[in-house]
Amino acid sequence: MDKNLVPITSVPEVATIVDIRDEINEVKSFYFTFDRPEIEQAFKIRSGQFIMCTVFKEGEFAVSLPFSPENDPKHLSVRRVGKVTAGLHQLEPGDKIGVRGPFGNGFPFEEIKGKNIIYVAGGIGLIPLRSSIVHVLQHRQDFGRVILVYGAKSSKELMYKESVKEWQATENFETHFTIDRSEPGWSGEVGFVNQLTAKLDLPEEETVAFVCGPPVMFNAVIKELKLKGIKEQNIYSTLERHMKCGIGKCQHCAIGRTLVCVDGPVYTYKQIRTLGEQI
Amino acid sequence: MYWLTSEQLELLIKKLGEEYKIFGPRHDRVSGEVIFDHLTDLSELDLQAAIPYNPPKFILFPHLEEILKYRYEPETKQARIEQLNLLEPKALIGLRSCDLTGLLCLDRFFLGQEFVDEFYLAHRKKLFIISNTCLRPFPQCFCVCTDSGPAAKEGFDLDLTLAGRGYLVEAGSKKGQALIDEFKLPEAGPEASVLKKKIIDDSVSSFDRWALENKAWISRATNRLTTGFIKPEVWEYIGNQCFECGACSFVCPTCSCFNIEEANQESGETNRLRTWDSCSFEGYTKMAGDNNPRKPVEDRRNKRFFCKLSYSQSKKYLRPGCVGCGRCARVCPGDIGLPNVVTYIRREITGEAGE
Repeated sequence: MDKNLVPITSVPEVATIVDIRDEINEVKSFYFTFDRPEIEQAFKIRSGQFIMCTVFKEGEFAVSLPFSPENDPKHLSVRRVGKVTAGLHQLEPGDKIGVRGPFGNGFPFEEIKGKNIIYVAGGIGLIPLRSSIVHVLQHRQDFGRVILVYGAKSSKELMYKESVKEWQATENFETHFTIDRSEPGWSGEVGFVNQLTAKLDLPEEETVAFVCGPPVMFNAVIKELKLKGIKEQNIYSTLERHMKCGIGKCQHCAIGRTLVCVDGPVYTYKQIRTLGEQI
Repeated sequence: MYWLTSEQLELLIKKLGEEYKIFGPRHDRVSGEVIFDHLTDLSELDLQAAIPYNPPKFILFPHLEEILKYRYEPETKQARIEQLNLLEPKALIGLRSCDLTGLLCLDRFFLGQEFVDEFYLAHRKKLFIISNTCLRPFPQCFCVCTDSGPAAKEGFDLDLTLAGRGYLVEAGSKKGQALIDEFKLPEAGPEASVLKKKIIDDSVSSFDRWALENKAWISRATNRLTTGFIKPEVWEYIGNQCFECGACSFVCPTCSCFNIEEANQESGETNRLRTWDSCSFEGYTKMAGDNNPRKPVEDRRNKRFFCKLSYSQSKKYLRPGCVGCGRCARVCPGDIGLPNVVTYIRREITGEAGE
């Protein structure tokens, strides 16, 4: 583990929500800063890590981090799906949350310098990938071709519209968007992400892929990437599980012989295939 | 090694009581069952009692524990989090070697992995352990198969072995030796180790035949579980017997899964509670939005045996996760305690018919 990243393990640090933005239906982004300046200064993450977020009086939940480790305001993008996230969605700017973390291994960054990168995301699967995308674009000269393939049910369900607009205007960043059914005014592709992936001309050699989305989409995309000649050990994804502690003790996130909170949440497809349990 | 009389032992425990909260085996006043419990009355301590029905893990890892307390006022937007002081010196008297081994597994798991569990550490910091050799096994025992008995090898401050009318005492730490020195216990010459070895050998040889028979199969089961060569039908059979009551996890000296819940009080304070949990429960892996990666009961059930016996888990404990106390077999209403599971795996390997 990187010695500079000392996570907050037991007692949550209090943070203030400074801004809330609506993303898509039932998904909001919460921008936050730590109340203690020394924590605000010391808090460092790697792309792909997660935190345990306390919504006071409701509970704690594990959530991936969508911001880049460098020069990107700290925020969480959360879908209202259960009791605790519903509590979070009721909060307003100025309200407090608690934060433990960051936890988990994170996406590779230094190791993939010089390589081509393909991001494939479905729906809110773009949330954990955003951190890596922004980070890679901040160091664009260190990488080969960088490609994003992103799909959602409809244009309304596409996450991070502002970032996406920026990305589309970014030189040397190939972006491809698709929605499930055609809509008036939609100029992108129509169909599933895996179908779009199949159509693209992707580099085979020295290429890594980052895939995140619902399991059905995930499996279909993996199939296409393998057909394109991308090796299983070069396909990365991030898994989610019911988590209570974040530090490898409660065991709720065990998959086969690994614990998602300390051994993951980022795994290569080769690892996922041999975990000994369905994902 | 030293000699200790019962009278001296009583004084020694009383002396420990001045510094430590004393826990040990006693008979429950109502049921008569042997329980490992806090002793408010030291005369209740019974070192000759049978193996207690509960392991001592609750002393370091309580079944329900407040780990944090906070007050949040939405009007003023003030959050005040209070960390609790869980440090309390405790002495565990008369620990059986299986339970001591279980405790060492918990130590390695909570303190020896990527992160240290600070709550467990607080309980563990000031602990005095007196282990007690089992002169004979109890009907449920198979510690000889899991290398965790009948006598303690490590982890104790003092180790007792009843020999005739007195105890042979060994110190396992400086704290233990200091106590021996303080009581000026007489040294028990070289014949004492011969005597202790004979006592342990007698204990081993009186194990039930079935326990000895299972001995080889625990390692074979470990091999099969690790390599994944157990047919799904075996897990289905075991899963069908499971009542999903979680009793096996709660009486296991090494099971340590937990849940965390917030409890809001009328006073406006919230307590963060850590409670025991079990991988046999359906909600164990259920995520928000009702997505549950482990659905069928056999899918969850084999996880527990994987956790007890597989090589990857053993690496965390530096030994198998099963300590051979037999409590799961005793409490399981579905008759799928660990020894029986090993038997099912054996039948699958050898092709022998079930009873």
